[in-house]
Amino acid sequence: MEFFIAFINFGLAMWLAWRGGPRPAVLVFFVGLAYTLALYLRHATDALPLSF
Amino acid sequence: MEMSPRQAVTLNALALYGISAVLLVAFYWQLAYDELPCPLCLLQRVAFAALAVGPILTIRHGPSPHHLGLVVLAAVLGGLISGRQVLLHILPGDAGFGSALLGLHFYSWAFVAFAGALVAAGMMLVFFPPKAGEGKPPATGFIEHAAVWLVMALVALNALSVLLECGFSACPANPVQYQLLGG
Repeated sequence: MEFFIAFINFGLAMWLAWRGGPRPAVLVFFVGLAYTLALYLRHATDALPLSF
Repeated sequence: MEMSPRQAVTLNALALYGISAVLLVAFYWQLAYDELPCPLCLLQRVAFAALAVGPILTIRHGPSPHHLGLVVLAAVLGGLISGRQVLLHILPGDAGFGSALLGLHFYSWAFVAFAGALVAAGMMLVFFPPKAGEGKPPATGFIEHAAVWLVMALVALNALSVLLECGFSACPANPVQYQLLGG
């Protein structure tokens, strides 16, 4: 589910980039970036704060 | 040196075709060889999806340094993830994760691709710096539209695939079956 959300997030950013204005697309892009970074910290190692 | 907005848009469409090719090859390996992507592999696919946002903005709204900035950020994130996976399997004797393509594992190719994207964005900023708000975006044709829709369709398919693979819970570290298909 966690990766599904990440794909949907960037899919939405693409859709907004294509159909909407650049500003909402960039905003959703940054949300996705932060979320993906959190997922990375969770999966890259079991020694980082977000890992469990 | 100067690059016309039309040339920049064409170049960005080609970049989108490149990203689509990467996602298609990964999909082909997943389906043809039944190799389910691991969490770090999935994160690299997510980073490729992020990499496509900047070029789509350029095609739709015209060239801008902000769009290249998004490419840089996505490439750094992708490089971080693929670099981590390369390091996990760097010790001598480690067979690596999954199949190899032309002698390199997919995460190694991904690292090369993200580094290439970073270099390409850097070169564009140095040699062909676009000015923000250069006016109306250039007219786009079938090639550009097809590039955008192809990459969006592939991201949607990846979302569906990962839902089938991981279900509604956390993804296993070494997935061997589609959770929602029960085998």
